Formats: sequence, structure tokens, C-alpha cells
Amino acid sequence: MTKLAAEHVFKIFGRRPKEGVRRLQEGADRDRLREDGTTAAVIDASFTVQEGEIFVIMGLSGSGKSTLLRMLNGLLEPTSGRVLFDGQDLTALSAKALRDMRSRKISMVFQHFALFPHRSVLENAAYGLEVQGVPRAEREKRAAEALDLVGLDGWGPHWPDELSGGMQQRVGLARALATDADLLLMDESFSALDPLIRRDMQDQLLDLQQRLRKTIVFITHDLNEAMRLGDRIAVMRDGRIVQIGAAADILSHPADDYVAGFVQDVDRSRVLTAASIMERPRVIVSTDDQPDAVVRALRTDKASAAFVVSPAPALRLVGTVTEAQAAAAADGEGTVGELMRAATVTAQPDAPLADLLAPASRSDLPLPVVDGDGRLAGVVPQLRLLAALGDRPTPADRADRSDGSDTAGRADQSIREEAASA
Amino acid sequence: MPRLHLGTWAESTVNWLTHHFSWLFDAISSVVNHMYNGVEWVLGGPSPLLMAGILALVAFWLRGVLAGVLSFAGFALIDSIAQWDQAMQSLSLVVVSAAVAVVLAVPLGIWAARSRSASMLVRPVLDVMQTLPAFVYLIPAIIFFSLGTVPAVIATIVFAMPVGVRMTELGIRQVDAELVEAADAFGTSPLKTLLRVQLPLALPTVMAGVNQVIMLALSMVVIGGMVGAAGLGATVFGAISQVNIGLGFEGGVAVVILAIYLDRVTGALGDQVSPLGRRALARMRASAHGLSFAHYRPRPVVGLSAVVTLALVACGTGVFSGSPSSPTASGGPGHGQAVHIGDFDWDESVASANLWQQVLSDRGYKATVNTYDPGAAYTGLASGSLDYVTDTWLPTTHAAYIKQYGKNFTDLGSWYGHTSLEIAVPSYVKDVHSMADLKGRAGEFGGRIVGIEPGAGEMKLLQSKVLPGYGLDKEYQLVASSTAGMLAELKRDYAAEKPVAVVLWSPHWAYSTYQLTKLTDPKGLWGASDSIHTEANRSSAARLPHVTSWMRKFHMTEAQLGSLEAAIQAAGQGHVTQGVKAWLAKNPGVENAMAPVVAGSGSGPGSGKN
Ligand SMILES: Nc1ncnc2c1ncn2[C@@H]1O[C@H](COP(=O)(O)OP(=O)(O)O)[C@@H](O)[C@H]1O
Ligand SMILES: [Mg+2]
Repeated sequence: MTKLAAEHVFKIFGRRPKEGVRRLQEGADRDRLREDGTTAAVIDASFTVQEGEIFVIMGLSGSGKSTLLRMLNGLLEPTSGRVLFDGQDLTALSAKALRDMRSRKISMVFQHFALFPHRSVLENAAYGLEVQGVPRAEREKRAAEALDLVGLDGWGPHWPDELSGGMQQRVGLARALATDADLLLMDESFSALDPLIRRDMQDQLLDLQQRLRKTIVFITHDLNEAMRLGDRIAVMRDGRIVQIGAAADILSHPADDYVAGFVQDVDRSRVLTAASIMERPRVIVSTDDQPDAVVRALRTDKASAAFVVSPAPALRLVGTVTEAQAAAAADGEGTVGELMRAATVTAQPDAPLADLLAPASRSDLPLPVVDGDGRLAGVVPQLRLLAALGDRPTPADRADRSDGSDTAGRADQSIREEAASA
Repeated sequence: MPRLHLGTWAESTVNWLTHHFSWLFDAISSVVNHMYNGVEWVLGGPSPLLMAGILALVAFWLRGVLAGVLSFAGFALIDSIAQWDQAMQSLSLVVVSAAVAVVLAVPLGIWAARSRSASMLVRPVLDVMQTLPAFVYLIPAIIFFSLGTVPAVIATIVFAMPVGVRMTELGIRQVDAELVEAADAFGTSPLKTLLRVQLPLALPTVMAGVNQVIMLALSMVVIGGMVGAAGLGATVFGAISQVNIGLGFEGGVAVVILAIYLDRVTGALGDQVSPLGRRALARMRASAHGLSFAHYRPRPVVGLSAVVTLALVACGTGVFSGSPSSPTASGGPGHGQAVHIGDFDWDESVASANLWQQVLSDRGYKATVNTYDPGAAYTGLASGSLDYVTDTWLPTTHAAYIKQYGKNFTDLGSWYGHTSLEIAVPSYVKDVHSMADLKGRAGEFGGRIVGIEPGAGEMKLLQSKVLPGYGLDKEYQLVASSTAGMLAELKRDYAAEKPVAVVLWSPHWAYSTYQLTKLTDPKGLWGASDSIHTEANRSSAARLPHVTSWMRKFHMTEAQLGSLEAAIQAAGQGHVTQGVKAWLAKNPGVENAMAPVVAGSGSGPGSGKN
């Protein structure tokens, strides 16, 4: 279900913002506006966020992320366009109704924590409830629960500046969670933390999200963080959203050179999963097929081995059979099920590529990927795995794919070409 | 360039305001007076040591043992140099002005912090308030509010308020924008954001502003003394004008003690009221585990109750002077009627005014003398806040004031005839007896003649007529300073027996203190001499017929005036009344001649008045 939607949202700072929108719509470019002292911070942004999703907005500093985020809870009013929250148009609300919405439904976590230094940790966590007018006893109870949730039980009476950076941001998180808001807006919330602590916080957020199922819009300039957290990612550049998609999608099929440059340095072995690079097995046979039919199929498809699945409707992967095995039994009776080798080494679709290297090296055959029901979802040939890890995607990939050609084949080919040119 | 008559416009604006808004000024005046009297009653009521104890307790409560002990010692010192009453009057003035200034400044500062255009509007006004010399608005302030405490309070507020506004605005603007945004993001209304986030976090800066307001208010105390506000300002101002180093020092020490006390106490108060400050203090105390006695501070409840208890004791023992001191009417027609006499810091002025004060008191009037700048005194006389000014030099020196206010005055005639303006040199300078003798001796006198206030009529006359007339204008430079500066210079050079030429006039006590030669004026360029008149407020002259008729007949010879001034000098500073009494004792006939009592009736002339 759609929780939040932005429809053609613009935000222009400076003189005559409306005119800026008109000129942008007529095709004027952002730098031209800037010469006139007008900053187009967000240009024509549209997207939807589903309930329970972590939606990441990623982009370099100054690309308009914070401005966009602040229009999602009405801290800034769009110059043009609409923001719908639960179907309600925020731009149509009165200031008071908007404040009420912020205090109950939408909360925010800040880059530099923004804890109130004159309030204890507990009073900070209880702040949102205090604004709502919840009586003291109840709000302190709920604030303490929120602190428990982020692993800060017992820290309530302390002062914010007695806590480490990571702990302070947990207080910020607890403050946002205490109000039971449905939507969490997080503006570079982990950027000010050390890498190790940042990783902990990411884990904790994912863990909390498993339990709480909030809708989260998370802003970051760190691609690895985006890939780790985001169910979907919107990449922003100079005020525009240039691509929206899942992590692997953006990695393997960047929309333009800008995104391609951006994703260059990402640790692909951790971001890409088996599912994102697996291909269709060439030959699939059933346990009750005859060996000579298998040999024919393998020869037709120029494959060296076939994957064996249980008869329909189960279609679970049970083993593999090579051409040599099939040919040896081709003139005898019996079925494939009797001569196949059982499939012991498999991978889950969501396994990161880093986890595929060891199993893939144990066999000459492509690594089978099986889903939760044991069904064969696809295979990852060794060459394809190596190519994906070393890949430097270009926007062209996307074009290729759109006309339906086989990406795996292309990858194999490029490796061969590289080998030849070496 | 065309001459813009800005000054004329300002003057007519002031007149217009006086005419149409006197009710407003009267209301303000009465409110400020009540506030001041209330505070003064509380601070000046208890006996000095008890009050010193209360003030010391406050310091003890806010800062600890050492501060308490030092405060007590400081206030005891003020009492022992006989400046207690003045100090409490000044403290009251500071408390009232600072309180009003803060009450106005903080909301203004908040407004300026929240609106850019308000800030742009307020800033230049504050600049003007802060930089405009106090004298510029003191005169209108006197016209609006008459002489005394009120114009001093108003001037102090004008001067001290801007820093309060600025610091409040700064404090609020300094609050981390992300914190304000956080409050906003959780749906806090603007008012609650101000109260829950901005003000608490700005409080240390706001309190630093309050501290500055108080210190600036204290620094205005001396100027307050010039417009007739009682207190240390009057002491210091009087001491300066009489080159009385000792008294000036004592007044100065009292001001400094007050300043240090107020600074430290309000500083500590700033730490106490802001949550962040309280935390910092708590942490400091926690780290200083050895908890030495000197760092002991009572808990707020203990401290407060101690102060309250002592204050109650003060009430209980009746040290608050409840009944107004009744004048000792000694069988005269005065019947306790109030007579306000104004004097300047000129010796014959002090002498004549205090002589009248003594005589009128003996005749049953409640007579008071206060010292003012001449401009202030005549403004006050015109408005009726003064009844008599005994030292008006006519037809020349004070002619401008008579021209301006004369229609409100009744001239009671001259009581002294032989004034003169002159250059004087010490008698040890040989062969200089007349203005002409100065020619060619500039080297000896360092090429300069030590003058007084640049605006003084005598200075203008000297510069434009007398020096050129004797051909001295190229040779000598006329150095403008102040009367006090001139007398100090004379004292210094006289002690070192250095040749010096000073601008002086007769009568002047300098002639009885030093051996000086009045340089004669063979060309008669100084013009005809002034005689000294008494001026009365027109309606006072009618309201106080005896006093008026006595003053009309008043006359003094040079010998009488000289001996009176000398007696006052001899009595020492701050003891003018004793000097006058001593002189009256030595001159038995004078009092009756001045204010004849009709034998038998126990009443003065015209005792059949209705
Ligand atoms: N209040 C503002 N007034 C004027 N320009 C602004 C304002 N806020 C942001 N901008 C400009 O808008 C652009 C986008 O800023 P921002 O949204 O903060 O980017 P990001 O969060 O991606 O770093 C920047 O060029 C910034 O200077
Ligand atoms: Mg940002």
C-alpha cells in the first residue's frame, strides 16, 4: 500500500520561485537559474513509498536531499507539486493541522542528533509525547520503552553530552520511535558516526525494522549504506531524481554516466546477490526422463550437464547429470533419477556474491540457486560470477537489456575479449 | 549649504510634547517615583549593618562563604566612609532602572531575533540610544520629568537597555538551528519552541546581558548626580566640581564596591537560573570532591529562608524608619513648608544656598538644597521643581537662561555686586599685574592659558575679544578643559611654584586659598561686571511670600561671602551645614537681618498672611 507519494515536487529558493518553476518546465537549465540568484533545490521529483519500506534517497552534498525530505513532513512547502501522506495532501493542510500531523504521524532523526542539551536522555526521548500533551507518567513510561528498544535501558537520567555519538543517535532514534509515528524521516542520520558504529546502527535499524515495520525515508550520501538499507533507492543529482530502483538494479543497470560513476566504488560482492546475476539453466530434466533424451538435449544446447528436478508440480532440484553419465546409460533401461549425482551445493537467491565464491569453486558445474521451497530458481556459472565482481557497468547495459538480449552471454563474452587482448 | 534648523525643530518637538503629553510624563514620573521610593525604602530602611548582612547572605547563597564575607566587609567599608545612604540610593536607582530596562529589553530582543525586519528596525534605534551623549537627552528628560530621580532613571534606561536587547537577540539567534528544526519537526508551536528550547538555551547569554545592563546602569550613576538624583553620583559629582580628591575617592570606592558586588552576584544568578549553568555548577562541585569550607554554598531553600528571616528581623526591630522625620520648627512662619533651592557647584552658589537653607530651617521651613548643572537648575526652576536659585549672574553670564525661561521667573534682585571675570596668576610670578604684562612671557607660562568649559561665556569672551585686544592670541593658546580641571592644574602648579595663568572669576574661594594676582584689565575688554541675583519660580514667589520678601532684601559684602566660603571649606567636604552654622555663630546679627522675626509675635513679617 502506498504510504507516501511525491508528485512533481519543486522547491525553488530565492526571488520569484514560481517563475523559476515555469522556466524549468520550459526546459531552462538549473545553472541558468542560479546565475539569476535563484536556487532550484528540488526539480520535478516524483516517487512513491510503500508501507513498511525503507526508501533511500541518495546523492552528493547539495543535490537537494534534505530539501526534498523536509517537504515530506511539511517543514518546507513545495514551490509546486503535491506531497500525499496516507492520501492526505500535506500542502493543503493548515499550519496547525500540519504540526499535529508531525507530532503524531511523522517523526524525524537528524544528522547531528539534535538532542536538547538542557534535557535528560529520558526527557529527550519523551519530547514528542510532551508536545502531544501526553501526561508525564505515561510519556516517561513510553519514552523508557523506546530507550529499551534502542538498547539504552537505564540511561534515562543521564545528560546527552555524557553519551557517545552512537548512543546519542540512539536517543534520537528513541525520540522518533516513542511517538509511534508511522513514518520515520532520517536525514543522514548515521553520517556523523565512525564507520564501525555506523555499521552497528545500520544493523540495529534493520533489526528494528524487522520488528516494527515502519515506513522509513532514509537519506544518505554513502552508496554502501544506501545499498545495505534500502529496499529501493532514489538517486538524486542537481535537484533531480535520476534513477529509482532496487540496489542491484542500480548497480548493474545505472541510468546514466553519473550514476555509473557513483556506483563504481561500491563493494559489489556485498551488494549484488545471487538472484541479481543468476541465469536460466540451459537444460532442465526430470527424474523420470530417459538418459538418451538427456543426451540429445545436452547436445542441442551445447551444454555439458543438466539439472534434475522432481516431477511436476513440485519441481524441486534434486541433482545433476553430465553428458558422459547420460551417454554411458543411454542404451540401458532406467531413468535419470537412478544415475544422477545428488545436488549438495546450492545457494539462496539473496546470498551476496561474496558468499558464492567458496561453493562455486567446489564444482565445475554452474552453482544452482534454489528458493525457499527448494525449487531451482537459476544458476550462477563461475565465469558469470567473476565477471559480475569485476564488472564496470555502463549505461549501455541498460539499453542492451531493454531489447531483451542475454546479459550473461555478454558478460562471458567481455571476459573472453579481455583475455584475448591481454 | 543651506542651514538646516534641525535644532529648532527638535526644540519645538520637545515643546509640543511637553504641551500635549504632560499627563503621560506625569504618569510615568509618578510610577517611576513610586518604584524608586519603594525600593529605596526597602534597601535604605534597615540599619546599615543589618542590610550589609542581608546583602552578604545573598552573595553567600549564590557564590559561597568567601563571597559572603567579602561582601559584608565591602558594605561595612561603605558605611564606615559615611557613604551608606548614598550607596543605597544609588543601588535603588540601579535596581529600578535595570529592572525596567530588562523588562523592556528581553521582549524586544525576542522580537528582533524572530523577525529580520524587526531586527533591522531596532538596530539603528539601539545604536542611537547607546551612542547619543547622555546630556543631549538629559535636558529634555528634565523638561518632561522635572529634576531628580526620574530623569536619571530614564537616562539610565535609555543607556543601559540596548545591550539587553542585543544580548537577548544574540542568545536566541545563537541557538543551534538544528535544535529549533527538531522542535518544529516534532510539531512544537512557535511559542512553545521559544519557551521550551530557545529561551532556556539562550538564557546564559540573556543573563550576561542582564549583568551588562546592571553594570551600565551603575556607570550612569554619576551622570544621574548631575540632574539631581541623590546617591553616590551626587557625592562624586560634587567632589569633582570642588576638586575634593578625598571625597571623590570615597565616593569612587563605594561605586566600585557596588559594581563588584552587583557583577558577581548577577553573574552567579545567571548560572543559577539557566539549566545548563546549573549542570555546569553541579559537575564542578562533583569533581571538587574535597569540598572545602570556602566552597560551601547553602541550598537555595536554606539561603532564601536565611535572607527572609533576617529581613523579618529588620522589620521586627523597627529599624525601618516608619515615621517621616518632622522638621524642628523653631517658631517661624514656615510651618514645615517645603522650599527647594538649587545651586551649582560654584562656591558662592553653594555658600548662599546653604546659608538660606540654614536660615529657613531655623524659621520652620523644610528647606533642601540640591546641586545641579546650571542648565538643569534653570529648567527645574522654570518647571517649579525648584523654588529658588540664588546664584544668577546678570546681565551677562546667565542671560541666555533668563531669555529662555525668564517669563516663569521672578527676579528678586541682586545680593552681591562686585563680580568680575579675569585671568589670575600666582603671586610668586613677579611683575605680572595686568593683562598687558603677559605679552612676551609666553615661554614662562608654557605658551598656554588654562581655561574652563569650552562653552562658558567667559571662554568665548576671552578668545574673541580679550586675548586679541591685548595682542596675546598668537602667543598664548587658550586650553579648554573644565572648572575642576583648571583648579586641579592650578593646585598642581601652585604646589610646584610653577608659573601658570588660569581663567578665573570673583568671588572665588581660590583667592582665599592661594595667593593669587587678579590681572587688571586697563582696556576694559572684559566688559561691565555682573552682579549676582536671586531668581524665584514665579508661582513659588507668590506661594512663599516671607521667603520671597526676605530674599529681596538679602545682601552680602565681599568680606562676608569670603569668610562664609572659607568657613565651609574649613568644615571639610560633606559638612557644609556645619560650616554655615559655625559662620552664623561668629556673625550673630546676620540671621535676623536676613529673616527678621517680629519680636513677641513669634512670626515673621507679614504674619497676618492668610
Ligand atoms: N533555505 C535555503 N535557502 C536558499 N538555498 C537553500 C536553502 N536550503 C538549501 N538551499 C540550497 O539548495 C540546495 C540543496 O540543498 P540541500 O537540500 O541541503 O542538499 P543536500 O541535503 O543534498 O546536501 C543547495 O544548493 C543549497 O545551497
Ligand atoms: Mg543535507
